Amino acid sequence: MSPAIDPIMLSVYARTFKSITDEMSISVQKTTRSPILCEAKDFVTGLYDADGNMLEQTENLPILAFSLAPVCKYIIEYFGDDIHPGDVIFHNDVFSLGNQNNDVAVYKPIFHDGALVAWAAVKGHQADIGGNVPGGYNPNATEVWQEALRIPPVKVYEKGRLRRDVWDLIFANIRFDIVQHDMKAQMGACTVGERRLLELLEKYGRDHFEAHKAALFDATRRMMEAEIASIPNGTYGGEGYVYYDGRNPGSKYTIRVKIVVEDKAIRFDYSETDPQTDGFVNGTFTSSASATILTFLQMVNPDMPHNEGMVQPIEIVIPEGNILNAAYPKATTFGNHLCPPNADAIIRALAPVLPDRVTAGWNNLLCSLTTGIDPERGEKYVDIGFMGLKGGSGAMRGTDGYDHIGMIDASGGVLDQDYEMFEQQTPHLLIKHEYLPDSAGPGEWRGGLGVETVFRIGSDDTQFVTFGDGDFEPAFGLFGGGDGTLNLIELTYPDGTKVVPRNKDLLTGVPRGTIYHQLAGGGGGYGDPRRRDRETLRREVRDGVISPQAARDVYGLED
Amino acid sequence: MTIKIGIDVGGTFTDFLLAEEGREPRIFKVLSTPSDPSIAVADGLREIAASYDPPLSVEDFAARVDTIVHGTTVTTNATLTNNGARTALLTTRGVRDALEMRRGIREEQYNNRYTNVPPLVPRHLRVGVGGRLDRNGREIDPFDGDAVEAAVVDFRREGVEAVAVCFMNAFANPAHEQGAAEVVRRLMPEAYLTVSTDLLPSIRFYDRVSTTVLNSYVGPKLSRYLDRLLARLGEVGFKGLLLIMQSNGGVMAPEVAREKAALTLLSGPAAAPAAGMATVQAHGQSKCLTVDMGGTSFDAALVDGSPVMVNEGEINRHRIALPMLGIHTIGSGGGSIGWIDEGGLLRMGPQSAGADPGPACYGKGGERPACTDANLVLGYLDPDFFAGGRIRLDAGAARRAIETHVARPLGLPVEEAAAGMYRIICNNMAQGVREITIKRGFDPREFPMVVAGGAGPLHSCQIANELDIPLQIVPRQSSIFCAAGMLMSDLKHDFVRTFVSPLDEADWARLEEIVGAMRRDGEALLAAERIPEDRRACHVKFDCRYLKQYHEVSFVVPEDAFARRDVAAIKAAFHAEHNRLYGYSLEDGGVPVEIINVRVQAVGTVDKPTFPVQPEAGPDASAAVKGERRLYVPERNAFATVPVYDGHALKHGNRVEGPAMIEQVTTAIFVSDSHACRIDAHGAFILERKPAATPSRRGAAAEEMPA
Repeated sequence: MSPAIDPIMLSVYARTFKSITDEMSISVQKTTRSPILCEAKDFVTGLYDADGNMLEQTENLPILAFSLAPVCKYIIEYFGDDIHPGDVIFHNDVFSLGNQNNDVAVYKPIFHDGALVAWAAVKGHQADIGGNVPGGYNPNATEVWQEALRIPPVKVYEKGRLRRDVWDLIFANIRFDIVQHDMKAQMGACTVGERRLLELLEKYGRDHFEAHKAALFDATRRMMEAEIASIPNGTYGGEGYVYYDGRNPGSKYTIRVKIVVEDKAIRFDYSETDPQTDGFVNGTFTSSASATILTFLQMVNPDMPHNEGMVQPIEIVIPEGNILNAAYPKATTFGNHLCPPNADAIIRALAPVLPDRVTAGWNNLLCSLTTGIDPERGEKYVDIGFMGLKGGSGAMRGTDGYDHIGMIDASGGVLDQDYEMFEQQTPHLLIKHEYLPDSAGPGEWRGGLGVETVFRIGSDDTQFVTFGDGDFEPAFGLFGGGDGTLNLIELTYPDGTKVVPRNKDLLTGVPRGTIYHQLAGGGGGYGDPRRRDRETLRREVRDGVISPQAARDVYGLED
Repeated sequence: MTIKIGIDVGGTFTDFLLAEEGREPRIFKVLSTPSDPSIAVADGLREIAASYDPPLSVEDFAARVDTIVHGTTVTTNATLTNNGARTALLTTRGVRDALEMRRGIREEQYNNRYTNVPPLVPRHLRVGVGGRLDRNGREIDPFDGDAVEAAVVDFRREGVEAVAVCFMNAFANPAHEQGAAEVVRRLMPEAYLTVSTDLLPSIRFYDRVSTTVLNSYVGPKLSRYLDRLLARLGEVGFKGLLLIMQSNGGVMAPEVAREKAALTLLSGPAAAPAAGMATVQAHGQSKCLTVDMGGTSFDAALVDGSPVMVNEGEINRHRIALPMLGIHTIGSGGGSIGWIDEGGLLRMGPQSAGADPGPACYGKGGERPACTDANLVLGYLDPDFFAGGRIRLDAGAARRAIETHVARPLGLPVEEAAAGMYRIICNNMAQGVREITIKRGFDPREFPMVVAGGAGPLHSCQIANELDIPLQIVPRQSSIFCAAGMLMSDLKHDFVRTFVSPLDEADWARLEEIVGAMRRDGEALLAAERIPEDRRACHVKFDCRYLKQYHEVSFVVPEDAFARRDVAAIKAAFHAEHNRLYGYSLEDGGVPVEIINVRVQAVGTVDKPTFPVQPEAGPDASAAVKGERRLYVPERNAFATVPVYDGHALKHGNRVEGPAMIEQVTTAIFVSDSHACRIDAHGAFILERKPAATPSRRGAAAEEMPA
């Protein structure tokens, strides 16, 4: 007989689950060594029930987030009855529901009174995962093996014992030692989650936990259903565009979504989306599904527990073989970055029916990654240019876009490097990192500002990778608002040669003294700019983020 | 005869605790005067002088006061209300927006209506100037003094009152900052000036620029306030030592506070740990948790031998990287409002009814149910004896608010809904205590919990049950806990220098020079504060990390290890602290350890007041019973009729079995079913969990609450 549901205990469980995943997140942030994890927080922590259903997550970078539960279910099926206390399982394989090769997850089963009751998991973007190129972004890849070491579910600990042979096999195929330490830190965070969940089970008992968990899922599902029910029934279509597949100059692909709202359910159908590419510009099912969910979550009440109930009313259809769900053994490392054009398609589809809830277009990611040897210190470094890639978000009715927030798949969860730490960790010298004037898409509510980044490269023979988009099409405006500005990365070599890498590119031998120049564009504006509040506008002119000329010509400021 | 006074300025009342040698400490409260808080300070001194028999003139009284310790929220309020000085920033060309960008964070990722916090310096007053140092402090581009002059001319025209100077890599070489400071002093001598390397010479540009700007933003306000306060104290004839409370739990002279105003930004609750420490020391212990529940917030802090510190925090989403007490604040207080979210879950806070209109039961127009309303319905508050009867509570209004907003939507009776509100808020506070204990590697079961604030002791037994905390102490001065703590606080000055080096290869001569310089600075400040040499001490701390980690761990370097240059012992202390905080160390892996910062804390010990001991009066508390009341007993999930004791009549050794209520004018204590209370020699209430009180609540929810 299942225990009676105490409505108060539902709140206690919801709050406690969140507190546990937050605590796991702090543990990862404070103990990892790669700046991608501890500074940029490119990781997710979560708890799942015995069947792999999401109990709660802390989603620092949401694009990783919604593959954890599907993989957990896959692991449960894969190992069947061969799951034991003390096991620790690694996974990154994109052809068994992983989202990106570099995003490696740790799963730890949690046992109570001898029975499997839950899972703790942490997935983080590793500094390296083998493959042809340090750091993992290989725009020349055509198959998964050129990108990464595949890790289908594998036990690195079995019944509490380290499987040293397995451990060594994995890390023999990964370039940097810090990846081992960071994976240990992720394991440590799973242990933190395990301890706290067990305390909860000790206190209330398994039956109480199970009954209230199910009721919590129901409550959250009803919350999401109510949000969906507020959208008029109908079928809505939208498109987003991907420019250049890393292999064929001038190539362009279209993401087509058909959104079907039927009372309390919503379906995102990508059946009409273009086919997969030959290169690495391909999504995986879970990276694309994450993109869909995180975009939709921005259109509903943000104050909702993140558990299985939240995603139950959402159906996502992506046939295998299209650019959002590549077939084995295609290369897919770029897949997470198909989120911005995917979000564009969803926003364009829903803007006519949800004009008060959508934003205009967000600046699309254009990122660079430099690797080399610090000549002064003789050490290898890898740097993802987080500070440079973060443009502005789209405006919405009543609220300007957020300045320098970055791509929609992170939504302000990924931090800039601290400037002085950047100069300690790399040999580069920062010359400029400031808001980019007139980058915001004009509007009654303007888009968020982009930024301009300039630094001097300090290593010889530097390897330089770019990946992203937003250099062909700017963030779009809505309802009379204007577009944001374009992205750009440009290198000026010491001899004066200027090189504009393609938006997915790999350059080697970049010399010391090269000047790196990046523009991250602004977000799209919303509504007629001539209706923008004059006092705000005058202040912005004074602060130099909108030029007097733009204020006059675009916003119609007369004095 | 020496007299010491602790003065804590609150939103409604200014509290005074008077400690006079050989006498019981006395509490005074006067109404605060928010427009100029020093008026209430002078009012209070007059009231105290008049309370003597025969009454003293305020001049006669003030002349006998040896020390006044003062906590002020002038800087905190200026920051929270965006009401600081008109401030300008001089920084390195190319990075002037770092202050406003805050590293590109949006704290609420899925909320597109969540906007950035307005910067403390508008963009047109943030000026980047030429001159650049590399990461080692070597000059790459020369300092551009002309550009600074031009900027300062503009600042004057703009009516700027305060200037902040923060340049890239200045932690490694302050020369350019000093050059800029010289120009500002010359052309704008009246401006309040903060130079980043004077305040915080450590690495991390954003942390430094934000902290430096905060200091300038609040500095002029604090300076003017201290001028007024000193003038008023002078007028009434005070000739003793005035000390100001800081966020690190120490106190400092007004001259220091003037220059480093940001040190007071989070000083509101900073006296609590010292009060907690003094409370448990009376019981031979050196560890405690302090919790303080007020009208809108709940503050929790930890003492482990000494109060636990952190090196960074936030105020109003602005970064502040100064050493401060690790106090965790959540939006849970008597005014926290109960509401039902879209999924049908009950939540408490963080919205608060505040003091106006206040909870529904205040009868001042509040319609939404607050924590205080639930406490009234549950029988924890006497409607006729709230604040000693000064505020009459309307139980009908409380019931109606809960009925409308919580009970009906959840389909529960009013009592059950109120009980739910009570359990949720207790759970929220228990999670808050977790933040400062478990998340920082401490086991809460090892810490007695010192409970303060008007509403704290109504909830503390449930927090203790949730976290398995065996012992609680409610001091007699629970409601003016912070004023008491001020009298227990030593002088403390923190210094930091960035010194990046592998620990194994550290240049010890240089390290000793740096530490020596910081010690000398500390000694000089303490000397200026009239602290004799034999009462001064310096503690060395290192911030270290494993090579290529990004975050440092701050730990105390054993005195003799530093003197002996004992790297092995220092490393062992680091591994141990890392392991305690994060559950592992890389001691076995042979990963090199790097020093990032070196810190010194200079401490000047002051005399603490001693409080008289009461004679033992035996366990029988029946003389203090003043009635009985029907109230909710959480362990039974049912109402029961329990005795009510007059707290003022309880004597040393008296014992009260839970469930029971103990009432004083300013505090009510709910001794829950799982607890028993005894009174100690200083009149404090000691609550112990009964051995039978197991934490297991299996099946508790299946029990029916009697209608």
